[in-house]
Amino acid sequence: MNLTYARIELKRAFRNPRFMIFAFVFPVFLFLLQTNVFITDGDPGKATATGVIMVNMLAFGVFFAAMSNGGRLATERAAGWQRQLRLTPLTGRGYMFGKGLTGLLLGVPVLVAVPVLAVLANGVELDAAQWTRILVGTWLGAIPFVLLGMLIGQLARPDTLQPLNMGLSLVMGFLGGMWIPVDTMPTWMQQVAPILPSYWLMQPGRGAITGDLSRSLGLTAAVLAAWAIVLGGLVIWRYRKDAARA
Amino acid sequence: MSNTTSTPPAVALSGLRKHYGAVAAVDGVDLVIRPGEVVALLGPNGAGKSTTIDMILGLTAPDAGQVRVLGRSPAAAVREGAIGAMLQNGTLLDDLTVGETVRLVASLHRHPMPVERALRRAGAEDLAHRRANRLSGGQSQRVRFAIALVSDPELLVLDEPTAAMDPATRRDFWKAMYEDTAGGRTVLFATHYLEEAEEYADRVVLMNGGRIAADGSVAEVRAAAGGRTIRAVIPGTDEAALRVLPAVTSCAFRGARAEIASADSDATLRALIERFPAARDIEVAAAGLESAFLSLTAETESAR
Repeated sequence: MNLTYARIELKRAFRNPRFMIFAFVFPVFLFLLQTNVFITDGDPGKATATGVIMVNMLAFGVFFAAMSNGGRLATERAAGWQRQLRLTPLTGRGYMFGKGLTGLLLGVPVLVAVPVLAVLANGVELDAAQWTRILVGTWLGAIPFVLLGMLIGQLARPDTLQPLNMGLSLVMGFLGGMWIPVDTMPTWMQQVAPILPSYWLMQPGRGAITGDLSRSLGLTAAVLAAWAIVLGGLVIWRYRKDAARA
Repeated sequence: MSNTTSTPPAVALSGLRKHYGAVAAVDGVDLVIRPGEVVALLGPNGAGKSTTIDMILGLTAPDAGQVRVLGRSPAAAVREGAIGAMLQNGTLLDDLTVGETVRLVASLHRHPMPVERALRRAGAEDLAHRRANRLSGGQSQRVRFAIALVSDPELLVLDEPTAAMDPATRRDFWKAMYEDTAGGRTVLFATHYLEEAEEYADRVVLMNGGRIAADGSVAEVRAAAGGRTIRAVIPGTDEAALRVLPAVTSCAFRGARAEIASADSDATLRALIERFPAARDIEVAAAGLESAFLSLTAETESAR
């Protein structure tokens, strides 16, 4: 892994219209839509509601960036590109580490765009501690999703990848509370949502905005770390199996 | 061939075996390729060419036997950028331009040649700004050749590099390859185009059923398969009568002309003229690699 390689990897993602739409345009658009449709000007809870929607869209953006990043593993394997790379000094470990890193970096644009918009267009005002918790928390919280994307990329073929990613996005998006805020969910859904890791991806940011329906930062970190360990273990297991078969 | 120097062979395989389930893809291969040789690996589909190549490249681990590339393990040779390869069925990344693709691979190697030079040597310099999904089959093979060259490897391994090319593109490709290897690069290429082996290789290694069926210069391999073909118009005879002539390995009629394959054309010809003085339009030709290929693969087939 080196600078040229990382730069070219990122360039590839930004050229991909699907990536740009889902991981960037869509969260930005949904943020504008939801804050304009669901929130009226005189609403006393306006600041909180705007903040919650912003956090949800950040989570959605980094989630989709992670999934789309992992999907490239499947295409690269199918295209014989992984075999080509094995004829270079890049190790399998280096390759996987690089993919993990780009998965995190691809989440950065949405982490910048939505907050800038929230401040400029919606007048969101937060202090430095709140911003740090939201941005750093959501970014680090993306780690288990980067691993999930990589795991799917290792398991799926390019033609099964799209439906798989779509189905997963729907479940994580709706049931996990990224597309509809937890606040508007019926009670049974609120109880089911914590099963999904996407519920926890919003918790670091949500906790910075409101104490309502929020979990403690310690518990959130523990749950996300647990997901990261399980998914990371599966990625390594699958990687070893792939390498042994060769 | 006999003088041993301190330079290790470019490729040394000994007792190499690889099974896939009950199938022996490679079944005991010994092969030494000296630095600077251009070797064609020939054989029908399923002969074990690609499996052998994968083991030389370290992409597949042998069940038994040893692989040394330039005196090192394949993995060590790959790490040093000493092997460049064009794999079979490989494709390029659709979302990158040709220039970016080659630069990406170059960036991973320790001592790459300049990207422009690799593209130029592969005859792909005019494709640098093209996306990979806009390339013809022949063009993308040239780009993959540039990828194989960019580490400036001592050993170049090409697995059926011209499979997707039309004849004109194929000629251009080999011209580029030839110009490049003038510098003394060792080349091992698998092909099932016999004329490519005849024209471009110093040495032919013929594989069949996971084993080496013949190994030598093009002339030697031809000779091993029985040498020459005699063609003549021979009135008043039939196949059976010709088959009993000395040294005849096979015989067939093409219209009025008899085509006799012989292991010793001199002996066959003397006997032929003695017994059939009316024979005319006599032609003696070296058997093509094609017939050598067929007779050698048939031999190893029946020996199994």
